[in-house]
Amino acid sequence: MTIASITQLICFVALSATLVLGALGVVLLPNIVYSAFLLGGVFLSVAGLYLLLNASFVAAAQVLVYVGAVNVLILFAIMLVNKKENLAAIPGLGLRRLLSGAVCGGLFLLLIRVAFTTPWALPGPEAVGEEATIRIGEHLFSDYLLPFELASVLLLMSMIGAIVLARRDVLSSDVITGEAVDQGLIEKERTPLLLENSPR
Amino acid sequence: MFLLGALSSVADAIGSGAGTGGLNLQLNAGAIAPEAAVLIALLTCLLVDLAGEKAASRWVPPICYAGLGSALVLLALQWNTPDLQPAFVGSFLADNLAIAFRAVVAASTLISLLLSWRYVEQSGTPVGEYAGILLAATLGAMFLCGATDLVTIFVSLETLSVSSYLLAGYMKRDARSSEAALKYLLVGSAAAAVFLYGASLLYGLTGGATGLDAVALALRTSASPVTALALVFVLATVAFKIAAVPFHQWTPDVYEGSPTPVVAFLSVGSKAAGFALALRILVGCFESFDAQWKLLFTVLAVLSMVLGNVVALAQTSMKRMLAYSSIGQAGFVMIGLVCGTEDGFAAMVLYMAAYLFMNLGAFACIILFSLRTGSDRIADYAGLYQKDPLITLGLSLCLLSLGGIPPMLGFFGKIYLFFAGWADHQYLLVVVGLVTSVVSIYYYISVIKMMVVKEPQEASDVVKAYPAINWSVAGLPALRTALVGCVIVTAVGGILSNPLFTWASQAVTGTPMLVQAIG
Repeated sequence: MTIASITQLICFVALSATLVLGALGVVLLPNIVYSAFLLGGVFLSVAGLYLLLNASFVAAAQVLVYVGAVNVLILFAIMLVNKKENLAAIPGLGLRRLLSGAVCGGLFLLLIRVAFTTPWALPGPEAVGEEATIRIGEHLFSDYLLPFELASVLLLMSMIGAIVLARRDVLSSDVITGEAVDQGLIEKERTPLLLENSPR
Repeated sequence: MFLLGALSSVADAIGSGAGTGGLNLQLNAGAIAPEAAVLIALLTCLLVDLAGEKAASRWVPPICYAGLGSALVLLALQWNTPDLQPAFVGSFLADNLAIAFRAVVAASTLISLLLSWRYVEQSGTPVGEYAGILLAATLGAMFLCGATDLVTIFVSLETLSVSSYLLAGYMKRDARSSEAALKYLLVGSAAAAVFLYGASLLYGLTGGATGLDAVALALRTSASPVTALALVFVLATVAFKIAAVPFHQWTPDVYEGSPTPVVAFLSVGSKAAGFALALRILVGCFESFDAQWKLLFTVLAVLSMVLGNVVALAQTSMKRMLAYSSIGQAGFVMIGLVCGTEDGFAAMVLYMAAYLFMNLGAFACIILFSLRTGSDRIADYAGLYQKDPLITLGLSLCLLSLGGIPPMLGFFGKIYLFFAGWADHQYLLVVVGLVTSVVSIYYYISVIKMMVVKEPQEASDVVKAYPAINWSVAGLPALRTALVGCVIVTAVGGILSNPLFTWASQAVTGTPMLVQAIG
């Protein structure tokens, strides 16, 4: 065993341990702020695993997109709406947790079993390393051109949708008839909800 | 067609320039010309919307009609292409199956938009963005129908789903709409993640290729446990998209909370795309696991038919009743999928086309009723015959057709499905289908009875205070056109259904993948 492979093994064990413990923390900790910060740690350790696999571009994208954008957004969202609220206790919470834990455990055992019984083609193809960006670019403009272009429609639509949901100026009257409107469903409910009485 | 194909000429130039080695990089961008028409309409809508709400409500409808109408014409021109070539280096295939389902999606969007204008304006939400998001959902669904590559499938699935979440929550001041959007988002994202997991397992099995033909090849040669796992994951996503029991829990809440025209689109367009995906992946790739997925789908179909139709009995809201009835209808369509014969596939296509007209016709009637009265409770329809014969007649015909009463279009679709199932010895499915059809006729007829049989003094308060019928407001004539059109096709289409049968069987025989599966 060379020094390089020992270092690689140590890095792998350390990253995996952070990943598994962090992921458990994200799910199990009661405080959502801790969960969000641990999620950032999980994303970073995944990026580390990509680096170990010699996929530097994916690792960089992982850090930029998930840690830099997604996780920061989650933290912002938590800090903006972080108010103490005593929610009503959910009946039978213990049983529900036990059941979902059993389902997840069963799925985990199934995945482990499948992973060990499948004859994987090992070792896989050689990592392209530094040439990854060139290869990705080639694919995006040849055989993955259609999904690449379609993704731009997806992003455009998400952006417009976010603006529609977030913007404050609303129409107060019907454009055609001039009647007052309330941006609700046409089918009115018989019993008004609490939300409708709250100040807008 | 050439002009619209030229839209992609920029992409074409890039594609042919990046030729690696001796690969034949023919883009065949003309295959997505209908989608290009929808995309142009989408962008024009968004640009017109910049000019203000008044201009938008004036100009967005004609733009949408033009875009979707030309998409339908372009689809008709693609029908029975003699020399079928994959487009975009194997990402997309415009075979007859794809064309038929894309036409169903585009037509369902067109009709949903005709139903939408008055609803959207009366609720005070912006029209331009609404049309834009609905067209984006259409674009995603249309690409999903023809996608032959795991990455394209995933991106188009997400385009459809994200737009659907946004549409479900479009009435953002209404708590029910927000609830619907949130539930749909959470369940839908979980389903997408499961699909991605399944797709990554398939990607690993092929050793680095994402095309569905490569996946099919890899699955034919290896029967490892990981394949079964991938099958289950992919199947769960398909079942979620077509709302098969037990992946249906989102349906009633989402249908109840979403704006009704959006529900009309979700129940037809989104479902058609889901069935196209099911055919492409299950029939095209998992043929070596035929027995397994057919067994799973038999279970799903029986559960959907039984639960959908039985729970619909207890509903008091029209939208919820149609939600459960659509679960049951999806169960009927699955009979054709399980058969796997030429008749089975043709019956699926035929029933989707019939379902398009009868379901959207029913939605047109309940949208018109709620526009006039602000209610969608079944009890409020009591005695409607006296005040509004058009809604009564239209809704009665469409519901009878959904139930499968003889002269209607739905009867011929259903009988073809049952015939195909019986010929393929799927006796359990056919018997369950017949019994649940009878159950469904019971709750459809009870709505009709509510409208027709009640005496004037027994009419509900809503009907007693029914407003004078007025078609002059902008948007209502479009709704009336859609309503009358759907009802006429539903009523007369059954008698003149021969062209539809020919169309459906051509959709199967013009699809290499299905011909091979029937083989």
